[in-house]
Amino acid sequence: MSKYTEDDLKVELENKEYEYGFYTELESETFPVGLNEDIVRAISLKKEEPEWMTEWRLEAFRAWQEMIEPEWANVHYDKPDFQAISYYSAPKKADPNKTLDDVDPELLAMYKKLGISVDEQKRMNNVAIDIVVDSVSVATTFKKTLNEKGIIFCSISEAIKEHPELVRKHLGTVVPQKDNFYAALNSAVFSDGSFCYIPKGVRCPMELSTYFRINQGGTGQFERTLLIADEGSYVSYLEGCTAPSRDENQLHAAVVELIAMDNAEIKYSTVQNWYPGNKEGKGGVFNFVTKRGLCEKGAKISWTQVETGSAVTWKYPSCILKGDNSIGEFYSIAVTNNFQQADTGTKMVHLGKNTKSTIISKGISAGKSQNSYRGLVQIGSRADNARNFSQCDSLLMGNNCGAHTFPYIESKNTSAKIEHEATTSKIGEDQVFYCNQRGIPTEKAIALIVNGFSREVLNKLPMEFAVEAQKLLEISLEGSVG
Amino acid sequence: MLKISNLHASVEDKEILKGINLEIKAGEVHAIMGPNGAGKSTLSSIIAGNETYEVTDGEIVLDGEDLSELAPEERAHKGVFLSFQYPVEIPGVSVTNFIKTAINEKRKANGQTEMPANEMLKMIREKSELLEMDRKFLSRSLNEGFSGGEKKRNEIFQMAMLEPKIAILDETDSGLDIDALRIVANGVNKLKNENNAVLVITHYQRLLDYIIPDFVHVLMDGKIVKTGGADLALELEEKGYDWIKQEQEA
Amino acid sequence: MDLKEKLVSSFMAFEGKIEADDELHAIRSQAIKNFENKGFPTKKEEAWKYTSLNAVLKNDFSVFPKKENSIEFKDVKKYFLHEIDTYKVVFIDGVFSSFLSSTTHDGLDVCLMASALTKPKYKMVIDTYFNQIASKEESLTTLNTAFALEGAYINIPKSKVVEKPIEIIYFSTGNEAALMVQPRNLVIVGENAHVQIVERHQSLNENPVLTNSVTEIFAQKRAIVDYYKVQNDVQTANLIDNTYIAQKQESRVAVHTFSFGGNITRNNLNFYHQGERIDSTLKGITIIGDKQHVDHYTLVQHATPNCESHQNYKTILDGQSNGVFNGKIFVEKEAQKTDAFQQNNNILLSDKATINAKPQLEIFADDVKCSHGCTIGQLDEDAMFYMQQRGIPKKEAKALLMYAFTSEVTSSIKIPELKAKIAKIIATKLNVNMGFDL
Repeated sequence: MSKYTEDDLKVELENKEYEYGFYTELESETFPVGLNEDIVRAISLKKEEPEWMTEWRLEAFRAWQEMIEPEWANVHYDKPDFQAISYYSAPKKADPNKTLDDVDPELLAMYKKLGISVDEQKRMNNVAIDIVVDSVSVATTFKKTLNEKGIIFCSISEAIKEHPELVRKHLGTVVPQKDNFYAALNSAVFSDGSFCYIPKGVRCPMELSTYFRINQGGTGQFERTLLIADEGSYVSYLEGCTAPSRDENQLHAAVVELIAMDNAEIKYSTVQNWYPGNKEGKGGVFNFVTKRGLCEKGAKISWTQVETGSAVTWKYPSCILKGDNSIGEFYSIAVTNNFQQADTGTKMVHLGKNTKSTIISKGISAGKSQNSYRGLVQIGSRADNARNFSQCDSLLMGNNCGAHTFPYIESKNTSAKIEHEATTSKIGEDQVFYCNQRGIPTEKAIALIVNGFSREVLNKLPMEFAVEAQKLLEISLEGSVG
Repeated sequence: MLKISNLHASVEDKEILKGINLEIKAGEVHAIMGPNGAGKSTLSSIIAGNETYEVTDGEIVLDGEDLSELAPEERAHKGVFLSFQYPVEIPGVSVTNFIKTAINEKRKANGQTEMPANEMLKMIREKSELLEMDRKFLSRSLNEGFSGGEKKRNEIFQMAMLEPKIAILDETDSGLDIDALRIVANGVNKLKNENNAVLVITHYQRLLDYIIPDFVHVLMDGKIVKTGGADLALELEEKGYDWIKQEQEA
Repeated sequence: MDLKEKLVSSFMAFEGKIEADDELHAIRSQAIKNFENKGFPTKKEEAWKYTSLNAVLKNDFSVFPKKENSIEFKDVKKYFLHEIDTYKVVFIDGVFSSFLSSTTHDGLDVCLMASALTKPKYKMVIDTYFNQIASKEESLTTLNTAFALEGAYINIPKSKVVEKPIEIIYFSTGNEAALMVQPRNLVIVGENAHVQIVERHQSLNENPVLTNSVTEIFAQKRAIVDYYKVQNDVQTANLIDNTYIAQKQESRVAVHTFSFGGNITRNNLNFYHQGERIDSTLKGITIIGDKQHVDHYTLVQHATPNCESHQNYKTILDGQSNGVFNGKIFVEKEAQKTDAFQQNNNILLSDKATINAKPQLEIFADDVKCSHGCTIGQLDEDAMFYMQQRGIPKKEAKALLMYAFTSEVTSSIKIPELKAKIAKIIATKLNVNMGFDL
């Protein structure tokens, strides 16, 4: 009797090529490889930055030189050679001042392949997009509509020029230059990224969105995102990432800083689909990202992530719950296949009274991959009545992968309540048979069960993104399903 | 419609079915009764294609087609429905999403396009009313945290949605209170017509008060040892199974 | 001279004093070399992230007691299970006390490690088991191995059901200003054999003590071992307990750790599975206050299919005490159908108390059931109110709830006298007299 087994699925998955693995021939301007103070200065000069910014970068660079690259127990890879990377690569034809109509048709064709045709997005959805290819922000749509509300949404380079007072005041306040090895590197060499400011009491009428893509070979991408939600404001922000397939490992070291002032709310959603390497584990992106948000009184930051790409992911979107009554949330789906390694989780630092945090993490491992949840819940002595609930579930597919849970729970407050639960399971044969009996083939049954397993997190994504995320889950795990 | 001949099956080298012969025609209701361990649930699992059991001899033919080489989902596409004694939980997958997937897979297999959303909704509404199901129930995770009665009602609801040719009800009455039993049986009766058939597998006669069988078979030690009409069920209820055993031995 | 230097330099003298064969000598030399390289663990190491030995190590410990000390049984009677008959292996300031002990060679060996390590008739057993599962990397374990001499040696032959519990007690008299002792126990439980063991460390005055203990336990096929660790020492005593357990198929080993006392207590409890259908139980109750610190570091290494492990640790912290729970379940690729469960519940009674928990799962097999749960919280307020409404005063209601909180652990103590003793200690710790046992 022919039966489609989990093993068949595994084989199929391993043979499934990376769907976004195309490379667009764009004329790029790329700096020589290597990193020194001159390169840092050159990046700053190229971007016509004010002197304070140059100094800020140099300060970070000097700190970085003194730092040691972190070692992680459950992630193994050959460390990148930081002198073999080019730290600046811009599509030559990009000019931040032009309108969408002037955008290089080849670029537009690339977006279309990505499924994010700017025109289409503009027409169909209420989504304003900033697209960063390699290092430079290419075009920001919807600027006018946003301007009317006083919302600033532009590339960080533009913000440094146009809104230096905001950038200077907030940049590096949540993730300091010296926070960690990769944050320091990013602070020194970041070439672009997004900036967003929502004024007091304004509810951003549309989802703001950024797409990142590494195109040029031998380059690293170091984008920097700074998002400030002023008192009582609200914004939902989406971030998508892809890279073409290449044999060598590419480095992506981003920093994202969120500031939610009193009673503000930020929803930050990421769908990360950098090239994961081929089925032998060759190539792929090293995704070493520092994401952190600061919550003032009554503020709320909610991180949602769907991580399906990258050869190695090292990422802990975190919340500093400084203000009383502030709320932090982390919803994550991490899928690893073949030789991918993911070490991801969150830190919830409770400083204020009555602060609450929720962590829901769903890890799915297949192939020969390793998938770890690493998280910290810390309750300070002043954080009376702090509450945390954490749930970490792992699903293993096949017997060559690993699923790991490393929660750190630290409490110094007698009135705090913390609950942590973790489970590990596989897809039950009885579940598959039940689906089969109702006419659902095994492959589809597995997709259905995986989707069910991830539903709590998928539900947290904005509509437009949820569909894409579901599709990505299928691509990275479920072979031809869908 | 369904013809089972000389069916032998074993699990881990232990023979459980020792030559079953059974023919069910369209429009008929058959009941299989028997003591615990007689092989009743094994038979239903094998018809549905569960690979835990190995068929060592015999065949199962549905409308002239041998089922034995078909995967469980292919059998389902051809109209075999099994109401599970212990329906499985699938967390995060709602009843609606599940049934939608099942229906569209069946349509796909039969060369049809997906069922339009409005038609699906209408059908869901109709069938859930038939089984007196709360609408909220449909958005809950499949069988997760369902009571025994809810699980069985959900099984019959799916049966109503999938419109099978042959529905096998495996101990559907177990875990049901009298009201739920009435609703479930009522649902089955309404779905029955001259083109389909029902095979009721049960330990007790109770369910057969509501779903009146045309034939009652007694399964003992892997074989059908006696066949009769609806009155046989009553006799079994009254006298138990021992007398049949004695009759056999005599 | 700091403690590390003192230990390393006294190793030569120690080696010269005892008769040891070449194998043992090689093991010891290797061990002291490892310790010399690594030194005492610091907070920089992940495994010691939440526990610092710095302050303790500043004491000027003497590493060998200067003279033999003796104590009267009547003075220490309360530390024994005196209501019932037991085998006893008793040490005073690290030295075996034949006067207080009650050993045997009649059908089983309950005697002292020093003779097992030096007498030829034990050589085969020592070669087979000694230092076989104790870590050769972990610095404190290797430090103990280097100085291993005094301790309990227990060898239960095949099918022997030991009719009475075995008590292993280490007393320190405080005749030294500060004393470091390094007991080494070896327990071998044969096929189908069954034994109950109670281990206790007790200081008799307030002079600082540092105990670095290593116990190796081998449970053969279908053996049943119930091991209880009673840690209710004075607040100047420090205990580092390293226990390594190897289990063969269908054996059942349960370790209960009751941590009520001491200054710093660190329990490293490691289970290694070497056969199928093994059952391991790790349970603990920690009730501490003041500046006490208790750190439970557990590992269950599931390496074989169809095994189970159950962990249940309850902690109540008052004063400025620190509690640490670091539990790891490791499931190797071959260990299919593993059922591993871990539960850690903590209650903080004071604003100055701290709890750090790190329950970990590392899973490499897909067909497993593994879960852990960890909670940090307070007593159930509804339950408090309910009891108060029925006239139970707040203090008693609180104590009752804490009793109930620990009952999942106490309920599985298999020696009734020990159970009563533990219940009494809990009542004293909670400062109430319930007048009944739960």
